Amino acid sequence: MTTLHVIAHSPFADNRLASCLRLLGIEDALLLCGDAVYALRPGSEPLRDLQAMNLEGRLFALKEDLQARAIDGGLAKAVDYPAFVELSLHHDKVNSWL
Amino acid sequence: MNDLTVDDRSIALDKDGFLVDLNDWSPEVAEALAQREQLLLTSDHWEILDVLRDFYAQYQLAPATRPLIKYTALRLGPEKGNSPHLNRLFNGTPAKLAAKLAGLPKPTNCI
Amino acid sequence: MARSLLIISRQAPWKGPSAREALDIALAGGAFDLPLGMLFLDDGVFQLQAEQQPAVLEQKNLAANLQALPMFGVDELFVCAHSLAARGLDLCHLALPAEPLDAPALRALIARFDEVITL
Repeated sequence: MTTLHVIAHSPFADNRLASCLRLLGIEDALLLCGDAVYALRPGSEPLRDLQAMNLEGRLFALKEDLQARAIDGGLAKAVDYPAFVELSLHHDKVNSWL
Repeated sequence: MNDLTVDDRSIALDKDGFLVDLNDWSPEVAEALAQREQLLLTSDHWEILDVLRDFYAQYQLAPATRPLIKYTALRLGPEKGNSPHLNRLFNGTPAKLAAKLAGLPKPTNCI
Repeated sequence: MARSLLIISRQAPWKGPSAREALDIALAGGAFDLPLGMLFLDDGVFQLQAEQQPAVLEQKNLAANLQALPMFGVDELFVCAHSLAARGLDLCHLALPAEPLDAPALRALIARFDEVITL
């Protein structure tokens, strides 16, 4: 069964992202929102960690959170809320890292 | 109004009749609490109350019905640890009533 | 058939209500016979450490409460081996038996459950 993992916390404040990357199945997807989009800062450690995984087509970021923080999605596909809902439905379950 | 008097000692109860201070409990207090529920404690009741107090000492929480049955079966055997037996002893609400008489807090997750 | 739920608890017992809430979900679900599993991840493994003395901080004994999980029908208890090792903990330091899982086993575990919640 596939899981969409959703993270909203900054990767510089705790280890949610690092743990999630360890638990991410090969068919699972990851959506970054809120301060979690800071993981996409060019030149940052979390971006290097993301790049080291083969996440093509499985890494998403909420468009408005990227825009608000002046971050270029780059590695992640930017999605709006309707696309977020679409993604949730596309997976068997959603795991929110509260 | 919700106080219990045992041997001239006044013991505070909450609105559901549970002890406010769990340290107030004694076998005499249990008998008095049972009387409020129109229940006379027999040895069959007491062995369950003892089991409940052990459960609380071990896990620091009052069990809901299912874990109470399971723990009782583990300690006293399946002929005691089953729902008809416990329901019969404690007026159909064993987790709640037995916890009250054993001087435990109200069971969490007991609806 | 009820949908199975995996509860991932990843905060230390002292860090706000998170650990307590995860346990409450497990106890409530167990009391209703729901198929539940619980995984201790990251600082959540500290919840399992033996010989804690929460009374010093006037807190309830979460480790004692956690030991009641099998009584509530929650027998599937897992712990992240990586989180344990990173914190200098070993299975022998734990107050209750939980099955240690490496990364591939954790991925399989999450895939197996119908629902997952991470607290």
